[in-house]
Amino acid sequence: MNEKEFIDKWEKDKPLYDKWGSFVVEQICEQLQAEGIDLKAFLKIPAKHRIKDDSSLIDKAFYRSDKSYDDPYNQIEDKVGARFVVLLLEDIEKIQRVIESSANWSYDPCKHFDIDKKKAPLLFTYQSVHYILHPNDNGLDLDGLKVPSDIKCEVQIRTLLQHAHAELTHDQIYKATKDVQPEVHRTVAKSMALIETTDDFFKEVSQKLNYGPLEQHQVVPRLNSLYRTYTGLEPHSQKSSITIWDTYEKFIDEKLVDNINSFVEQNSFISELIKSNYPRNSFYQQSVVLFVYWMLKNKKRRLVNDWPLKRDILELLANDLGIKILDA
Amino acid sequence: MHLVNMEIERIIIHQVYQRDEDGKRVAPLQSHEFTRFEASAMNEFKARVRDALGDDSKAVQMEIVNQSPRDLVTLIDAMSKQKDEDFAVSSYDIATKLTEAQQRKSIPGGIVVVFQGKQGHPQTDFLGVIKAEVHSGYQKEQDPKTKEISLKFVEEVLLTPGQRLYKTAAFFKNPNYVDKADDNEDMNDKWVVMVSDYQISKADGKAAAEYFYSDFLGCGYPQTSARTTKHFFDATKDFIQDLDASVEEKYDLFNALTTYLKVDTSSSISASDFAEKYFEDIDTQDEYVAYLKALDLPTTSFTKDIKHIESSLKTRKVNFGGSVKLIAPSDAFLDLVSIETIDGEPNEAGEVKEWTKIIIKNKVVNQE
Repeated sequence: MNEKEFIDKWEKDKPLYDKWGSFVVEQICEQLQAEGIDLKAFLKIPAKHRIKDDSSLIDKAFYRSDKSYDDPYNQIEDKVGARFVVLLLEDIEKIQRVIESSANWSYDPCKHFDIDKKKAPLLFTYQSVHYILHPNDNGLDLDGLKVPSDIKCEVQIRTLLQHAHAELTHDQIYKATKDVQPEVHRTVAKSMALIETTDDFFKEVSQKLNYGPLEQHQVVPRLNSLYRTYTGLEPHSQKSSITIWDTYEKFIDEKLVDNINSFVEQNSFISELIKSNYPRNSFYQQSVVLFVYWMLKNKKRRLVNDWPLKRDILELLANDLGIKILDA
Repeated sequence: MHLVNMEIERIIIHQVYQRDEDGKRVAPLQSHEFTRFEASAMNEFKARVRDALGDDSKAVQMEIVNQSPRDLVTLIDAMSKQKDEDFAVSSYDIATKLTEAQQRKSIPGGIVVVFQGKQGHPQTDFLGVIKAEVHSGYQKEQDPKTKEISLKFVEEVLLTPGQRLYKTAAFFKNPNYVDKADDNEDMNDKWVVMVSDYQISKADGKAAAEYFYSDFLGCGYPQTSARTTKHFFDATKDFIQDLDASVEEKYDLFNALTTYLKVDTSSSISASDFAEKYFEDIDTQDEYVAYLKALDLPTTSFTKDIKHIESSLKTRKVNFGGSVKLIAPSDAFLDLVSIETIDGEPNEAGEVKEWTKIIIKNKVVNQE
């Protein structure tokens, strides 16, 4: 295939690539949202697909000294691409799971920085996760456009810091007009080492912030569902519930929600009390109220001693259960 | 467990007076209107009742002794079904009965709050009486212009949170009660009485409290007290035994238990009182109270009767490995014996075992 034939075919196929790229981005975004992720906060740069421009495609196919293809048209896999930039390493994994579990395409994992690190442990360079996605064997009908299985889209997933490194190397070094000094390469490698370290720190911070017994035992979603079952009402969590969970974290274990469940079951009037107070007092609208009732019954002294909110809430709940809380 | 899921339906208040100079009764002042609290005042009133009679309170269960038609329980029994008009009249009869019971001139006047409601699940009737003594206090006042704060003296203040100034009793209808329409039935099958009076739990306070629980309410200490006290003693020993604590701490706790039951002169005791006095760690206090609750011991206070455990309280025993025993009168343990865990000398294998150092602050008087 010469340059002319290459361009003719590319012009003809462009709408297919465009359609496929937009479909891929749309599907990934929809699935992330379905998992309860707020895309505006999750994606640090809005995800869009992008068709490679003609000149850089021709350059890559015919003129780049570092690339040599037998069949450039089919071997160049990033004619359409999409990029997902996130804050944390664990966010990358979320997108990977979405891609790998979709029935809409076949995928080739073609680059992962963890594999690169194993292969070249001494090298600090460009890091990203790449997938090539193409329709399954029979192709895919998208709005009347038949996209065959050899139409490929490259998806890149990386952290914000990895992206910063990529931008620097791509824009500044790759396009540099003069020879790049070894010390510049060295400095870029050093910054990649620093980025990798920082990404690890970010991960640690996020885990410490977001992962404790509350998450491990899925206490909030399970308690919300108990709340719905017993009251038929929708719980609304507020900041005060986080304060309560923080204060009494040491009492959170795998048995807690089951214990609360049997407690509410034995004291069926609690659901009636919640229902009648729901419109009047927002504390009763939170599923954490079940935990506070349980604490009042089982660990009253600790509850009262460490209580982080206004005392009058506690007074009301103590009235409900008829438990003395005054130290007189 | 009482006062769960409590609702208060009717409240009426009368005034009672101290006897006059000659020791004659002064008739109480009757109210004809029911008191209607707005929501927050009602919550506060419930909190008073809850702290006096609820779980973990100092209230004790009592037995109804006087059950004749002229006694209080007969009145209470009738009132739960009365319409407002009759209820108001009967509540004044309660005030009159209290006036009669206040035979000593030194007993102060105050108000009598008679209230009726439902509690429990499913809810059953209960009827309560509070005698609150009037005391004085201050009210905060702020000058609207200068914002300066000043205190206004208020001569008559009632029902503040401190429990020294009121006595509370309530008759709870037994949820398992079936009406047998029998004139000779025991009212204790139908009503459970709880009485909260700081004088009962005070050392030697029984006599001072008697006019209220006995002369007025017609109640007496339950006959099950000795059994409950033994149950409490055994359960607490088991709890201390299994506690994750050092030998010294356990030794101190066993001594504390003896002191609490034998030396302390208070006539009522409770798990919560023992916990708060002797377990330092709050979580241990909670665990102990929950442990006793699970064994069906009263969740409020109960009257102390050491009849069944007298001999156990008289001597204490500590057993050591190698069949060594130390036996002594409990008082001697408190005053003369100290026990401490020490590291033993290493054995041939170099292991250091736990030994015990005992100090007896007295000389040997005899040996065989």
